[in-house]
Amino acid sequence: MALPRLLTLPLIGRNPVTVQILGICSSLAVTTSLETAATMAVSLTVVLVLSSLIISLIRRHLPNSIRLIVQIVIVASLVIVIDQILQAYLFAISQRLSVFVGLITTNCLVLGRTEGFARSNPPGPAMLDALGNGLGYSLILVAVGAVRELFGQGTLMGLTVLPTVDQGGWFTPLSLMLLAPSAFFLLGFVVWGLRSLYPEQQEAPETEPPSVAEART
Amino acid sequence: MTARGMWHRETVAELLLASLLPVALVWLGLAGGAGLLRLAVFLVVAGIWHVIWMLARAQPPSLAGTVTALALAVLAPGDLGLLALILSTSFGVVVAELAFGGWGRNVLNPATVALAFMGFGFPAAPWPELPVQIGWAALPALAIGLGTGIMAPGLVLGALLALGAGWAAGLPVAAVFPAAAGVLALLVADPVASASTRLGRWLNGLLYGGLVSLFLALWTGAAAVQLAVYAALFVSLAAPLCDEIAITLWLLQRKRRHG
Repeated sequence: MALPRLLTLPLIGRNPVTVQILGICSSLAVTTSLETAATMAVSLTVVLVLSSLIISLIRRHLPNSIRLIVQIVIVASLVIVIDQILQAYLFAISQRLSVFVGLITTNCLVLGRTEGFARSNPPGPAMLDALGNGLGYSLILVAVGAVRELFGQGTLMGLTVLPTVDQGGWFTPLSLMLLAPSAFFLLGFVVWGLRSLYPEQQEAPETEPPSVAEART
Repeated sequence: MTARGMWHRETVAELLLASLLPVALVWLGLAGGAGLLRLAVFLVVAGIWHVIWMLARAQPPSLAGTVTALALAVLAPGDLGLLALILSTSFGVVVAELAFGGWGRNVLNPATVALAFMGFGFPAAPWPELPVQIGWAALPALAIGLGTGIMAPGLVLGALLALGAGWAAGLPVAAVFPAAAGVLALLVADPVASASTRLGRWLNGLLYGGLVSLFLALWTGAAAVQLAVYAALFVSLAAPLCDEIAITLWLLQRKRRHG
């Protein structure tokens, strides 16, 4: 595959969140405001790119039987570094992100890319692929975070955009946007819209789960 | 539609609307011109979405949109802005009904979902105080529904039984009677979104009455309509479970009898 395609394809065409539905746990949890969503997106992208680089470098020395353990150890080490950096320089945001930075370790997206691509490709393409996927994830996270903060609080990055009724403005904030279900709804609408625009993203019938008869016990 | 005979989807929708007429007329009589305007807004929003889905997906529009609009007009919080009303109604009608393939294929009642959206989305908006006449008008509505066979006797009797038990236990059921009975007729007894086995319907009705009683006992500061609408939401989420319990019991019984 051409190198630029590695970077651009995961943005829309093979977006890890909307096409593969990976890494949505964190996209639900941290998108109540744009600030936390952006921080999370940057953290995940950095972890993904660095872990892809390291795993790609050692790919010829990685015994098959313990490869998952090694990958998890590398990802977890990088996550700890990122977590420490956030606590050192962005303490307030790291408090709001709480455990979700640590949970990047278990984000299916990271392991999916290192296992699925970096393990069998040279460092350059591996990092490009990781960056593309990280940006694809960031795109969805930032979009959902912006919508939730704008309509839930009338602000963006903490700055007032729509003056709310409480502050003497006209905008009635939609409290639902601050609750977890709204992230599900928004993500569902995004997936619906994208799959209507790009019908090739729709699942082919043969990938649907086989119908299993109910157990008659 | 390939339905034969007179019983098809629209027959059920027409009878449902006919059985709700007592509630509609009493409410319109009390609310007057403002109520008519309010109903018209909901009718237009629901109608536009039905037409859009007919044009985009060739999904036949249903008269049941009228029932949704009526339930929303009676139960929706009073001073929501027009934008909020349109947003919530669109959410209920599109996500809970049309996206599933239209009325008859939906899992939840669109009006229940729209009301829950209003409740969670705009918690500051006050819920309406239903006058006691709505509660009394709900009884003939339920009677017509039972008589025409579109509402399930088990569901209605189960709900009244559980509410009666709550009243006998000393809970202030009488104070929320208009809301509880109105929501029962408008939302819970909906033949599509409620349970569809005989025992399941009893469980469905008992659960509704039980939840209203439970909320009355434990939820301080809740408005009558709010309490009944949330009970309706939980009950319609639990309706498949009621059916599942009924089917499991039937299978166990059959296994015991026939080995």
